Amino acid sequence: MSNGHEIRAKLNLPLDRFTLSVDLKLRRHVTGIFGASGSGKTSLLETVAGLRRSAQGMLRLGDQLWQDSYRGAFMPPERRNIGYVPQDALLFPHRNVRANLLIGQRRARCQGQDVEALQQEVIALLELDALLERNVDTLSGGERQRVALGRALCSGPRLLLMDEPLASLDLGMRRKLLPFLRTIRQSFDIPMLLVSHDPIEVQALCDELVVLQDGQVIAQGEPRVTLMQASRDAAEFAHLVENVLPCRFERHEGEATLVRIGLEGDGPLLTLPRVSGAGASAQMIAVRSRDIIVSNTRPYGLSARNVLPGVVRRVAAAGKKYLVFCAVDRSAVELAVEVTLASLQELDLKPETPVFLIIKATTLELC
Amino acid sequence: MNEASLTALLLTLQYASLATAIVFVPGMLIAYVLARFSFPGKVFVSALTSLPLVLPPTAVGYLLLQMLATDGILGREILGVDLDILLTGKAVVVACAVMSVPLIIRTARIAFEGVNDRYEAMARTLGYGPVETFLRFTFPLAARGLLAAMILGFTRAMGEFGVTVTIAGNIPGRTQTLASAIFSAQQVGNDHEANFLVLVALATGFCAILAAEFLSLRGARRRKSP
Repeated sequence: MSNGHEIRAKLNLPLDRFTLSVDLKLRRHVTGIFGASGSGKTSLLETVAGLRRSAQGMLRLGDQLWQDSYRGAFMPPERRNIGYVPQDALLFPHRNVRANLLIGQRRARCQGQDVEALQQEVIALLELDALLERNVDTLSGGERQRVALGRALCSGPRLLLMDEPLASLDLGMRRKLLPFLRTIRQSFDIPMLLVSHDPIEVQALCDELVVLQDGQVIAQGEPRVTLMQASRDAAEFAHLVENVLPCRFERHEGEATLVRIGLEGDGPLLTLPRVSGAGASAQMIAVRSRDIIVSNTRPYGLSARNVLPGVVRRVAAAGKKYLVFCAVDRSAVELAVEVTLASLQELDLKPETPVFLIIKATTLELC
Repeated sequence: MNEASLTALLLTLQYASLATAIVFVPGMLIAYVLARFSFPGKVFVSALTSLPLVLPPTAVGYLLLQMLATDGILGREILGVDLDILLTGKAVVVACAVMSVPLIIRTARIAFEGVNDRYEAMARTLGYGPVETFLRFTFPLAARGLLAAMILGFTRAMGEFGVTVTIAGNIPGRTQTLASAIFSAQQVGNDHEANFLVLVALATGFCAILAAEFLSLRGARRRKSP
């Protein structure tokens, strides 16, 4: 992302239990705002949107000043050019789907955007064609979220704010909608902030992660390492999934399903228990760093279905444990493995050490 | 039905419509402010706007009479012009307006409170300023409740009696309304006429309340679906 997209936020907002207090410089494409419920994520997003006038501090997007309470500057939400996707979609019940999508087109047109082309693109990407004439209260939860996303994009935003766009959906529907969000990410070169408490979701979509706890930023950085840090520092983030990788269905083999990981199709095959139907169209695969075993010799006589040769790229400390990032088969695919200091020393794990990664088929989850 | 009764009915419809038309928009705006904003003295304003609902109409009439009298705060001596309101059709409109605006404000306030204010926030993020947000989103979303408010206000104006007779009198063909015509018919023992007028009042009142209830119910159901 170019500098014109940088978000600079130095904000204080008193909330019921604590004060939201952040000092952020965000310059990546998609930034995840991660945290337990009630940690101030939504308040932060609403402040960026200009919906919390009581917030103090400074906020700018690129060279545009949105708020500076010391100089008494405040740009109202209607002039900030944002697309906002709330958890509950908030489609206008007095308009049908098409009218909802068109609500923000006036702004897009004012900015000289080709409104029709934009709408066609959004409708195609989000597969909204069949829904256009529907009344919004006949839509399912997933359809509602797609329309809300489409409405935000059709307004030609400079910044997309998504507040747990998938949280109101059941797990199956969430996994079905994730690919849509990935498509949006690929097709729109605008900065996006995604509020989420789903580690898989943030890893599948975000370049950077900001972890909030009681209104404070407790970790910020590359999603995997940041999640790991957070899970060590705060009990509420235990049980996170650190490895979420793009994958493609390859074939079924008896009771097993094989998927190839990696974006370029150069990654290794992974075996997992046979999945049916929708599972075969999954685009991401998730595995916890603690569910992977690392060995410096090729193991044999193991029940684990997946043994992948690889090489250590780097080691990151995360609290009392360590994350060893290993390139698999010298491909671009990188898996994080959690080890203790003792293991790290005993196996002498350092960059360029050849290793074998052992993953039980049952610990792999398609999403 | 004699001609005087017909005239009274037509006059009542005119005066009540005019009064509703005059107070509806200001009443609605007050209701919106009460529903959406908090400010010092809000409880006081809220109570003041509801006062005519609980005061004896004759008391309200008496207060208006004091204000509109020659030496009152809205009288000729202070204003410098004679508004010429007392004992005219204008007085009926004033009476109807004063008595129906509290009902309009209360009902409209409930209608606005029923509209999730996050819809307004959503509209703002899509590029609409506060006034446009109100006109394009809040108003249509509250429309049913607002229509109910208008119907209730109109019906209240139709049935106004106490304040009307106090400041406008009961002059057939000029200030005699449905309510005061019933009173006169009953006073002189014209039961046949009174029965008929009461029937008209019953029918209009019943229809109006039904319509208002229906609209409020539908409105509530519609807003509940997210």
